[in-house]
Amino acid sequence: MITYTAVGLLGMLALSIPVGIVLFLLGIGIDQFFSAFPLLRGLGSLVWSSSNSATLIAIPFFVLLGEILVRSGVAARTYAALDKWVSWLPGGLVHANIATATMFSATSGSSVATAATVATVAMPQAEKLGYDPKLFSGAIAAGGTLGIMIPPSINLIVYGFLTQTSIPQLFLAGLIPGLGLALAFVVMTAIICTLRPSLGGPRRTFPLSAMMGALLHLVPILLLFTAIVGSIYKGWATPTEAAAVGVAGAFIIAFFFGRVDFAMIGQATLGTVKITSMIMLIVIGASFLNFTLASAGLGRELQGFLNGLGLSAISTMLVIVLIYIVLGFFIETLSLMVVTIPIMVPLVVELGYDPVWFGILMIVLVEMALITPPVGLNLYVVQGARTSGNLSDVMLGVIPYALVLLLMAGALLIFPQIALFLPAFLS
Amino acid sequence: MADSVLRLLRTLNRGVAYLIGIMLLVCAAFVLADILLRQVGTSFGGTDEISGYVMAIATAWGMSFALLELSHVRIDLLRQKANPLGRSLFDIFSMIVMTAVVLIIAYQCWPVLERSIINGSNANTPLETPLVWVQGPWFAGWVWFGIVSTLTTLSALTLIVQGRFAESERAIGAFGEADML
Repeated sequence: MITYTAVGLLGMLALSIPVGIVLFLLGIGIDQFFSAFPLLRGLGSLVWSSSNSATLIAIPFFVLLGEILVRSGVAARTYAALDKWVSWLPGGLVHANIATATMFSATSGSSVATAATVATVAMPQAEKLGYDPKLFSGAIAAGGTLGIMIPPSINLIVYGFLTQTSIPQLFLAGLIPGLGLALAFVVMTAIICTLRPSLGGPRRTFPLSAMMGALLHLVPILLLFTAIVGSIYKGWATPTEAAAVGVAGAFIIAFFFGRVDFAMIGQATLGTVKITSMIMLIVIGASFLNFTLASAGLGRELQGFLNGLGLSAISTMLVIVLIYIVLGFFIETLSLMVVTIPIMVPLVVELGYDPVWFGILMIVLVEMALITPPVGLNLYVVQGARTSGNLSDVMLGVIPYALVLLLMAGALLIFPQIALFLPAFLS
Repeated sequence: MADSVLRLLRTLNRGVAYLIGIMLLVCAAFVLADILLRQVGTSFGGTDEISGYVMAIATAWGMSFALLELSHVRIDLLRQKANPLGRSLFDIFSMIVMTAVVLIIAYQCWPVLERSIINGSNANTPLETPLVWVQGPWFAGWVWFGIVSTLTTLSALTLIVQGRFAESERAIGAFGEADML
C-alpha cells in the first residue's frame, strides 16, 4: 500500500494532474484495492467536516492580511528604516533584505508573499547602488522562506489541522528556529562579504538621529506582530481570531498610508479567494487520503515496513530528510507538505518523535524546497522582480543560504530542544 | 461558441468570488466584534460555528473561480517540455480526470445533505442551526464546481479539436505557482 501510494503519487503528479485531485484519486484507489469496507461513502461527510472548520478560516484571513499589507506601502518604509540599522555590516544592504524579510515573516503566513514583497522594494536599490546581483537576490529568496517558519504560518496551520497538533504550540516552536535562521543568514552574509567584499556592496553608516527616526517606521509591523502573536499567547484569541485581528490591523496600516479604496479591496479579495480555494482543494484531498490510509491499516503496514528496514530511529530520520531534499527539487511548499503528511507523520510518530518537532523540521526542509531548482518558487518570484539578468544569478546566490537551512535541519535532528524548548517553557 | 462559454463562466465566477470575499470580510468583522465583546464580559456565542459554515461555503464556491484562474496547483515539469499539441494533451487529460473526480465528489456530497433534509437535523451546538441552511449552499457550490469543470473541459476540447492550442492553453493551461501572485 505504501509503494502503491508513493508510485501513484509521483506518476500522477508527473502527468500534471492537479495536486489536490491526485490526492482524491489515491484515496479512491486505496478504497478500491486495499479496503474491505466501502470508504468512498465517507467522502461526502469528509468534504463537509474538513471544510466546515473554524480553524481553517484562519487561512483566508492570513492570506487577506498579506494581500492588504502588500498593497499598503508599508514595505518600502520598513525597508528604508532597516537599511539605516543594518547596512553597516559587511554586505551592506543585503542585510536589510534579510531583516525586512524577517519582519514581514512575522506578519505574513506565506513565504512567496514575503519574497515578493521584499523583492519589489529591494531590487531597484540593488541596481541603483551597484550591488552584485547574485548574493543580493539570493538573500531575498532565502529570507522570504522564513515566512512559513516565523509565526503566523499558513503551512503550520495546515500541518496542525491534518495531524491534529496544537497550532499555538507549533507557532511557538517555529519562533526560535525562525529567528535563528534569520541570524544565521546574516552571519553567513557577513562572512562571505568579509572574505569577498566584491559580492556585497558599500557599507553605510547613518547618524544616530536618523537611526532613531527610522524606528518610527518599524512600529506598524511590530505592532501588528504583537497584536497577532500576543493575542494568541495572552489567551485572548485563538489563531483564527488573531488572524481576524491581523486583517483589521492591516486595514488600519493601509488606511493610514491612504491606500484603502474599492479597487484595492476588490483585488485583495479576489486574490484571497483564489489562493484559499487552491489550498483547500489540496487540504480536503489530503484529509480524504489520510482517512482512507488510516482505515485501510497504514499503521500496521508502517510498523512492518520499519521492522523490515531494520534501521535505527535516527537513520530512518536521515532517510526521511533525504527524501524531502530530493522531492523538494521538484515539488513545492504546501503540496510537498500535504502529499507527504499522510505517510510521513504516522511513521515519525511511530518512531517515537514529537509531531510538533517534526512539523518544524518539515518546515525547514520545505523552505529548502522553495529555493532549490528546477522548481523553486522563491527563485522565480525574485527573478520576476528583476529588470535584467538571468535566473542563474539567483540560483547561485541562494546556495550559501540553502547550506544554512541544511545546517538547521541537522541541528534540529541533534538538538530537538531548539524547537521544543519554547512550547514547553511557556505551557 | 467555446470562447463565449468560457467568457461567461469567467464573468459569473468573478461575481461569485466577490460575494465570497464580502462574506469573508463580514465574518472577520464578526469574529473581531466577538473578541471585543468578550473583553467586556459578554459574547455573541457561536462565532466558531458560523466561521466554520462560512469556510465550508466559501471553499465550495471558490473552487470554480480558482479553476478558471488556473490556480489549482499542477506540477508541470514534464508538461513544459512538450510542444503546443503535447501541452494541450496534458491539459485536456488532466481536465478530464479532474472533472470526473469533482463529479464524484459532488455526487458523494449529496447524501450528507439528503440526511439532513430527511432527519431535519440541527447542528449539535448552542445555535442549533438547521443543517439544511448551510449544507444546501455548500452542496450547491460543489455541484457548481462540477458544472463549471464539465463546461470548461468541453469548451477546451472544442478549441483543441479546432487546433486553437494557444486559446485552450489560456483556458486550461498551467501557470507555475509563481504567476499566481
